[in-house]
Amino acid sequence: MTKEMQFKTIVAQYCKVKPEDMNNDMRFREDLGFSSLDFMSFLGELEDTFDVELEEEDALKVLTVGEALELLERL
Amino acid sequence: MGILIRDILEESAKKFADIKAVKWLEKKEVHERSYSGLMENVIAVRKGLQAEGLNGKHISLIGTSSVEWIESYLGIITGNTVAVPLDAGLPEEDLVDLVNRSDSEALFLSPKNKALLDGILAGCPKIRKVWILQEESLDVSDGKTASLGALKAASGKCDSDTSVPSPDDVATIIFTSGTTGKSKGVMLTQNNLATNVASVDYTTDPGSILLSVLPIHHAFCLVMDWLKGFSLGTTICINDSLLHMVKNMGIFKPQVMLMVPMMIETIYKRLASADAAIPKKVLADNVFGGNLKIIFTGGAHLDPFYIDEFAEYGVEVLEGYGMSECSPVISSNTPETHKAGSIGKPLPNAEIKFENGEILVKGSSVMKGYYQMPEETAETLKDGWLHTGDKGYMDEDGFLFINGRVKNLIILSNGENISPEEIENKLALDALVGEVIVTGEDNGLTARIYPDQDVVAAKGLDEEAIKTALQAFLDNYNKNQPTYRQITGLVIRKNPFIRSATKKIKRQEALIDEPLPMA
Repeated sequence: MTKEMQFKTIVAQYCKVKPEDMNNDMRFREDLGFSSLDFMSFLGELEDTFDVELEEEDALKVLTVGEALELLERL
Repeated sequence: MGILIRDILEESAKKFADIKAVKWLEKKEVHERSYSGLMENVIAVRKGLQAEGLNGKHISLIGTSSVEWIESYLGIITGNTVAVPLDAGLPEEDLVDLVNRSDSEALFLSPKNKALLDGILAGCPKIRKVWILQEESLDVSDGKTASLGALKAASGKCDSDTSVPSPDDVATIIFTSGTTGKSKGVMLTQNNLATNVASVDYTTDPGSILLSVLPIHHAFCLVMDWLKGFSLGTTICINDSLLHMVKNMGIFKPQVMLMVPMMIETIYKRLASADAAIPKKVLADNVFGGNLKIIFTGGAHLDPFYIDEFAEYGVEVLEGYGMSECSPVISSNTPETHKAGSIGKPLPNAEIKFENGEILVKGSSVMKGYYQMPEETAETLKDGWLHTGDKGYMDEDGFLFINGRVKNLIILSNGENISPEEIENKLALDALVGEVIVTGEDNGLTARIYPDQDVVAAKGLDEEAIKTALQAFLDNYNKNQPTYRQITGLVIRKNPFIRSATKKIKRQEALIDEPLPMA
């Protein structure tokens, strides 16, 4: 599984959109229906899955799928 | 007559002296404080406050959960001072307003929130001392700011301990969203807090592990995680971030946790999306850490569906009901006495009656009133009966149920109470916003905006341009707000809101006549 697909599979846990139907412009809260806590839990899962440490303040500024992917790529 | 938090804490310090009271993570390592160590620090803080001449004064605290925060809080309320815990996530201007409105003369500030220091010192002239919640001394020479370590060292100047407060003295002021758009300071006495702790029918072995994941400035967390936990000799572990809640369950292996429904919903998504081939016991051990038996939940309605689902993973979910004004628990299901869908039986110190369907509460945990708000106090407290704003009923077995709200307050599933007017007043400042209503849907807030038609015409904006401009305005507004006050839905109305004969917007109609587009 590619890193992007792995990422989208985690996203899909929290919403009804399938990984293949996700696009980078989708907003976590508004388009995918994440609650504020879903989003935090999701960030925690990213840390565990990809063995990275996120700067909480920066990570919470992320709005879209594309921005989260970019953040992950930068680490 | 009455009891004090100081009595409860002193008894625990004697009975559980060597048991760990608090555990927390620092650079991935677990640190701990025993009950005797905690008590020593609490006494040092209250003597330090006395040495600073703060007896009888109000003292704010800004920060997230930490051992220093709780020791300072307990130092304040076991002495002759009043603690005002504030939400560290609020914008600076709101914090300045609350420090001023609570007449605080000193402040405990977490190192993470040090950026607020200059703004608070400039905007809060009554503040004469600020202690940063850290042991290490500070390199600041403004004459006002020092470290918690320095305050505790100052306790040496006081030979005698502070005198014992009276049960009717105000111990704490907790701010809660008001329906008028201005948050209200709930005054809780020593006896209010202590009788709430004593009346919640739950017990566990000393040294049992509790993981605290709720915001510490909330009454539910402060009284039920911390004060109740300390009364039982529990080891309270601090969740350092909501990002790491599941990971921390694995580290600390809690037996009991307090959660708001939103947390239960989020964890359930993780459980439900796991590979069906994984046995439930294995999955539960992975997610809950292996020892979790009970989750107490409150702050918002929980769908009983989750109670059955979590039971399959060996975790009992017990729902309760309360509000800051009642210190906070009014009723709760317990391991022995529970009914799914209900909010449990009232505590032995709470008398309940109904008036036009509204739940009214009387008893030793009902607040003294709202600080400096006599009108709001008189509206809420009538002949000793607290008007909760919730509608409900009691069944033949004595279990309480909620079935609606009287007041216009949004209760999100994270337990946050949102006054829509408070946010509407801020959103209305944008020129393009003609009329606005904020509603709570799908665990978030939606702004329903009817654009100002004069501005639309003057700027020649089409539908897409209006949407772009309003979304940009909301994104900017959200940046300075804690997550629970962020607007995550936008409905741009084609027509003005429907109004009543008294020209008030009909809020319920707004949900129906132009609904939220489906995601």
